[in-house]
Amino acid sequence: MVALARKTLVYEWRRFLPAILAVGFASLLQLLQAALVLGIFGSASVYITGSSADLWAGYPGTQSVNLGRPIGEDVAMRLRMDPDVVKVEPFRWVDADWRGPHDTGGVSVFVSGIDPRADGMMFSRALPPALRARLNEPGAVIVDKADLDSLGVTIGDTAAINGQRVKVVGVSSGLRALGGVNIVASLETARVLDVAPEDAGMMTYFVAKLRPGVRPNAAAKRLNGSTAFGPYTVWTAKKFARESQLYWMFDTGAGAGVLFLAGIVFLVGAVITSQTLIAAVIGSIREYATLNALGVGRGSLRKVVMEQAFWVGALGLLCSVVIGAILLVIARNRSVPMEMRPLTAVACLTLSMALAIVSGLASVRSLRRADPASLLR
Amino acid sequence: MSTSVSTSPTNTVTLQARSVRKTFVSGHIESIVLHDLTLDVHAGALTLISGPSGCGKSTLLAILSGLQPADGGDVRALGHALSGLSMRQLESFRLQHTGFVFQGFNLFPALTALEQVELPLSYMGLAKDVVRQRAVESLEEVGLGPRMRLLPSELSGGEKQRVAIARALAKRPELLFADEPTSALDAANGQIVIDILHRIARTHGTTVLCVSHDPRLVHHADRVLAMEDGRILSDHVPPAASVAVPLRGED
Repeated sequence: MVALARKTLVYEWRRFLPAILAVGFASLLQLLQAALVLGIFGSASVYITGSSADLWAGYPGTQSVNLGRPIGEDVAMRLRMDPDVVKVEPFRWVDADWRGPHDTGGVSVFVSGIDPRADGMMFSRALPPALRARLNEPGAVIVDKADLDSLGVTIGDTAAINGQRVKVVGVSSGLRALGGVNIVASLETARVLDVAPEDAGMMTYFVAKLRPGVRPNAAAKRLNGSTAFGPYTVWTAKKFARESQLYWMFDTGAGAGVLFLAGIVFLVGAVITSQTLIAAVIGSIREYATLNALGVGRGSLRKVVMEQAFWVGALGLLCSVVIGAILLVIARNRSVPMEMRPLTAVACLTLSMALAIVSGLASVRSLRRADPASLLR
Repeated sequence: MSTSVSTSPTNTVTLQARSVRKTFVSGHIESIVLHDLTLDVHAGALTLISGPSGCGKSTLLAILSGLQPADGGDVRALGHALSGLSMRQLESFRLQHTGFVFQGFNLFPALTALEQVELPLSYMGLAKDVVRQRAVESLEEVGLGPRMRLLPSELSGGEKQRVAIARALAKRPELLFADEPTSALDAANGQIVIDILHRIARTHGTTVLCVSHDPRLVHHADRVLAMEDGRILSDHVPPAASVAVPLRGED
């Protein structure tokens, strides 16, 4: 079979370029948008995704990790009693106010009080053991290096949180928060910084590690069954992270915005692509009509046009994947919160290919003008 | 039709029109393009329909070749009644039995001469090597063997028309229709093209029906039908035909 679609695409690439670029840009926009959303809203759950705990126990019905309320120590007991739980660790969340040494005004910060031991679960993925150890010093805090400017400090500087003196002993990456700045401190330091009297001595979450091979879902379900140790909810880390991200996405209206923008991008891309493909079909309409006169059926001609649409889509996708990957690397290096997951990438690329196919279907209609009788004069 | 019979290499009637009528309506005005036209066309001969533009000769070609339906009358091609066939059946009939050459060469700019010829063949369900072999043979027959790897942009007008003829010929059609095949060509190339068409009729026993207002072609045809206002005015064997080509085909 003569590869008419592909050969024409190569030979008349200038004609098809606008369509390829339209699909490519649409695909790139979808990918970047998705990466930004995942990156930005992913930081809503950085406490969970940056830690190695399998289960999270917190105030009943908590919708997002930043909305935790103090819970009783008894919950930790309940977790420890479970045969599959090998380790339990407290996590203390303190909403606080930061005053830097320089003129930065007040900054709203979230203090994470964690166990600074080397084998601690909280922020085990963001903080190497040596850095954690520095938190043992009273008043020591660690911040994300991208937040240094907004906090107006460098390593070694002192500042005040809720009126208490703290010292920045180190920086890390992957600690950026949504709607504020994350400050990591030891449980002891966090207790000192927590000035709300009703919280005295109370933890916000207890996180737990399960025996290897135990399914977190089953363990969480079992632990949620009893209320004998006071009110609490147990989530798997995965579920709590997703709930926190979704809460932010819909609380801020960003979810609807993303869908709206995706729709616009799809529409504009489809208009440009279909117009280009239609022009390409019309440009070869006499040749198509000749083929039809020679007995090549309409269905076969449609296939040629659809194959062209497919290759336009494939080339557009290829461009977007290459450029997207480069931009993603640049973004990572500059601490721009961007994140791409395979499933999301596949969804974005599928949407863009659908755009090309829909445009192809639109251009197939112009094959009706390929009337061989019109070639006679 | 006794005149045509005497010059045709065979007596087989391959195209039959009986009282074919075609009208076009534009606005409220209905104009009759073909007036109850009756005609037999024979195999193995080059039949030329000539006449001024607008006389209905192209419409007649479109109806006889199954590209357009007639409004009335009966058209039979190779024994099939074309009026009873659906669009799909007509496509299938054209694929199996007919070849076309148009005034415009209508070649895909991206394909080499060989690929242009192979393209319609590849839809006929032939094996790949058969497709290649037939395409090469056809291109050699029209004298383009050495130039079969070239793109249309690298070929002259005459060569492009020969590619178009090879494209039609490679299908080994019983019916070959040509609409003004020499109009876009100079005298020398027009001569080559009409000679090829004539040779195809003689060597392959193909029914070649050619529509043209080009007076140069008259002497190369086996039979000339002069048309005007939707009617056939005369049906004769041109004097030069019996001199220019032998009466018997090589087949």
